[in-house]
Amino acid sequence: MTAVAASSKKPKKKKKSANTATENRSQPGLIGQNKALPYLFSFPAVMVVSAILAYPVLAGIYQSLFRAPELGLDEEWVGLDNYTDLFKGSDFWASLYRTGIFVAGNVTVGLTLGLFFSFALYRAVGKFRWMRAATLAPYLISNVAAAVMFRLMFNGDLGVINSFLAWFGIDGPLWLSDTKTAMIVVIMTQVWTDLPLTVLLLLGGLMTIDKSYFDAALVDGASPLERARFVTIPLLVPQLVIATVWLSYSTLTGLGVVLALTGGGPLGSTTTMAMEMYNIAFRALKFNEALALATVILVLNAVLTLMYVRIAKRFEIPS
Amino acid sequence: MTTATMPPETGRTEAVGKKPRTPLVRKLRRVLSAVPLVLLMIWTFLPFLVTLSVSFKTRVETFSNLSLIPEDPTLNAYNEVITDPNFTSAFINSVIVGIGTTIVTIVISLPAAYAFARFNFRGRHLLLLFTLLPRLVPSIGVLVPIYRLAVSAGLLDKRITLIFVYAGTLAPLAVWLMVGFFQGIPREIEEAAAVDGASLFQRIRYIVMPLAAPALITIGVLAFREAWNEFTLVLVLTTTPDTRTLPFALFKLGQSEGISNFPAEAAFAILTVLPFILVYSRVERYVVAGLTSGGGK
Repeated sequence: MTAVAASSKKPKKKKKSANTATENRSQPGLIGQNKALPYLFSFPAVMVVSAILAYPVLAGIYQSLFRAPELGLDEEWVGLDNYTDLFKGSDFWASLYRTGIFVAGNVTVGLTLGLFFSFALYRAVGKFRWMRAATLAPYLISNVAAAVMFRLMFNGDLGVINSFLAWFGIDGPLWLSDTKTAMIVVIMTQVWTDLPLTVLLLLGGLMTIDKSYFDAALVDGASPLERARFVTIPLLVPQLVIATVWLSYSTLTGLGVVLALTGGGPLGSTTTMAMEMYNIAFRALKFNEALALATVILVLNAVLTLMYVRIAKRFEIPS
Repeated sequence: MTTATMPPETGRTEAVGKKPRTPLVRKLRRVLSAVPLVLLMIWTFLPFLVTLSVSFKTRVETFSNLSLIPEDPTLNAYNEVITDPNFTSAFINSVIVGIGTTIVTIVISLPAAYAFARFNFRGRHLLLLFTLLPRLVPSIGVLVPIYRLAVSAGLLDKRITLIFVYAGTLAPLAVWLMVGFFQGIPREIEEAAAVDGASLFQRIRYIVMPLAAPALITIGVLAFREAWNEFTLVLVLTTTPDTRTLPFALFKLGQSEGISNFPAEAAFAILTVLPFILVYSRVERYVVAGLTSGGGK
């Protein structure tokens, strides 16, 4: 909000100072006139960002077109062979399928809980305000620590989840050693680590909504559910889009949770594309092949992002 | 605010014409409206509580007593972790890399953000875009290239590599947050100081930085968090305990052979989490405000 307000103010000010330069201002353009300084100032950041982010990505895409015939030999140009080989293998499609479940699970559960909890936090004011800060706790810890915590909770013998299920007479599974249930734990852990930002984002959106909309809905006799469905959620579309993009991005490209929690197991049942890429690169040491998969992930991420924005356009309120 | 939301509720019932609520019903509604918040707190803190509980148990008790409250709380697990050289060296590395990342991030981003916010120079938009675009690049895309770059440059297994890699990842966000903040500071204040003879560096040091303190604190916390918690790049870029940070050491502990030592793992996790939570709790209001206005990510 502040950024937008400030930037919209800015061009006006620029023009003004340019116009008044010849007029009555005693020292026109006192600030920001040096020619070389801005380049000097932005140089270190631009350098580090290029070296750490821009160059590696471009180099990675380029190197995905090469291949070393054998480990240790020089890399040779192979064109798109790494990609065609990737698409021919069944591992790729299996990991794509698992990634689909992972992303869909994280986005669905993340958005549902995110909406529910942000509505709850919206009403947490006064002496409950600390809850907003407390909600951020999972965001502050590493994926590995989160994995340790969830491994304890979902432990088949001593976990709190199975103790809870036992109350209802349900014999809980050995969550992380069962190929059918391991993905559930991975999704729950990922949602847990991603939810704080989602909630904060939606809460920020909620707080910018004009209260008169709610009042109008109340006067019209809308039930709380109707208010959420027809007033709040449509007004929250921009934040919901950003939240969806962020949840999808963090799952599609996230490696930390999977690696720390299951390492892709049991029997590869949680090997997502990111995990598969890690395996190809650092277990099989086929770096160029891994780079091809990484490029596929980048493209998929871009495609999904565009798709979310497209879908969201349909739900936007025409102004 | 709670009271501010309540009147419309009663206003509605009157408008619709339902019968007035008895105090009991109102009380019940109050309790029910707290349920989502209670669920939120359980969701957020149950994993912490479970881990805390296990960390105070003995290895035998983790299996014999499933209750959250340990029968005979012991600090053995903590003792075991603190005396473990892997923990101490990782802790020191984490502190060094964390502080280093925070400093480098701010030192490279602050001047850049100032230039983008205050100067109207050629290529300003292009450069700004350039520092922001990589924000869209997932770390998975740079994992292998950075590893190969580090190998060929002989920078593998060095703390300075980690520091610059994290600073580079954080810089786009830092620049973006700071540009927004700097633009909110009126030029006139700086101009007044310039008239009084303050140099550029004095203006940045005594006007811009204090006024942008919330943004700087947010960035500092985010940079430190990245360095403290990041896992996959440490896994790839370090090879010896001399440079490994806490997440890696914790990961190693979990990978060790044999029956898992749950209390030690839990205590280790608590000890990695605790310092940062303590730091965060001192500055949380800046961070929450910064993240809420910054639109996440």
